[in-house]
Amino acid sequence: MGTPARTPSRDKLVHLRDESVKAFQASENLVERSFNQARLVASLAAGLLLVGFLLVAQMRGQATFSGSLERQSDQNLAIIIEQLTAENNVLRSEVARLQMRLLEAGQATEDRARLLNEATKELNAVSVVAGLEAASGPGVVVTIADPERVLLPQDFVRLVHELRGGGAEAIAVNAVRVSATSGFSGGSGRIELDGTTLARGYEVIALGEPGNLTQSLELPGGLKSTLATFPGVTVDLTKSDDLSVPAAAARDFSVGTPVEEAQ
Amino acid sequence: MLALVLALALGVTLGLLTNFSVPVAWLTYLGVAVLAAIDACLGGIKASLEETFDDKVFVSGFLTNTLMAAFIVFVGDRIGVRELYLAAVVAFGMRVFENLGDVRRLLFRRWGWE
Repeated sequence: MGTPARTPSRDKLVHLRDESVKAFQASENLVERSFNQARLVASLAAGLLLVGFLLVAQMRGQATFSGSLERQSDQNLAIIIEQLTAENNVLRSEVARLQMRLLEAGQATEDRARLLNEATKELNAVSVVAGLEAASGPGVVVTIADPERVLLPQDFVRLVHELRGGGAEAIAVNAVRVSATSGFSGGSGRIELDGTTLARGYEVIALGEPGNLTQSLELPGGLKSTLATFPGVTVDLTKSDDLSVPAAAARDFSVGTPVEEAQ
Repeated sequence: MLALVLALALGVTLGLLTNFSVPVAWLTYLGVAVLAAIDACLGGIKASLEETFDDKVFVSGFLTNTLMAAFIVFVGDRIGVRELYLAAVVAFGMRVFENLGDVRRLLFRRWGWE
C-alpha cells in the first residue's frame, strides 16, 4: 500500500530539489551578471564623464591660446608692437597735458583761495578798525583816576592817538567804542565821548600787541608821565590776553557819498 | 546606453560650470590625452557590446593610455622632436575611427539592421 504511494512523492521531492537548485543558480547568475553590468556602466560612465570635462577644459584653454600673442606671426607681432607704441605715446602725451591742466587748475584755485582769504582778512581788519563789530584779543587796560577833575577832552584825544600810534586796533573808553568818527567833547571836568558822558574813573581798553601799547605810553616823557604830573591823577597799565570791546553805535551816513574812481 | 550619454553630458556641464581652463603650457599634452581617453571609452563600449568587457582592463587601459599619450608628447618636446605628438595623434585618431566603426557595426547587429 505504502510503496506505490511513496515512490511518486520521492520523485517529486527530487524533482523539486533539482528545480530549486537550478532556480538558485539562475538567480545567482542573474545577480552576478547585473553586478557585472553595473560595474561596466559605472566605469564607462566615469570615463566618459572625465572625457566630457577634459574636452571642455581643453576647448577653453585652446580658445585662450588662440587669442594669445604666442600664436601670432613675427610680422603680426611687429605690427602689434608698433601700434601699441604709438598708442602708448599718444596716451603719454595725454597724461602730460592733463597733468599740466591739473597744475594750472590747482594754481588758479590757490590764487582764488588766497585772494578770498586776504579779502576776508582785510574785511575783518576794516570792521575792527571802523568799529563795526565787537572785537576781542590781547591788549592793555589803562585805568585813570581823576578825583580832582583836571583832565580835559584833549587829554583823551592824545591818549587815543598815542594808543593808535602803539598799534591799537580797537579802543573803548568806559565800554564806549572809539570809532573812526568818534570825538571827545565836554568841559569843566566833564568828558563826553560821542555824546555819552563818561563816568569818573576811566577805564580805557585798547586791543593790540600789549608790549608795544605799554611802551608807547610809558616812554620817558610819554603820556603816562605827563598825565601823572596833574594833581591827583593816577594812571595804571594792565596787560591782558583776553579783552573785548563792544561795537560802535550804528551811524547813518547821509551827507557824504563815495566818489567813484575813474578807471 | 542612456547612462553613458548622461555621464558625457554631465561631464560637459561640469566643465562648463566650473570654468576650469587648461594652462596654455599643458594644451598639447592634454589634447593628446583627451584623444587617448576618447579612444579608451570607445574601446570599452565596443568590448561591452562584444560582451568581453572587463572593468579592470578598461580602467587600467584608460589611465595608461592617457598618461602615456601625454608622456610621449612630453618626451618629444624634451628631445627636440616636437612632431612626436603627431605620431600619437595619428595612432589614437586611427584607433578612434576603427573603434567607432566596430561599435557602429556591433550596434547594427544588435538591433538587427544587418
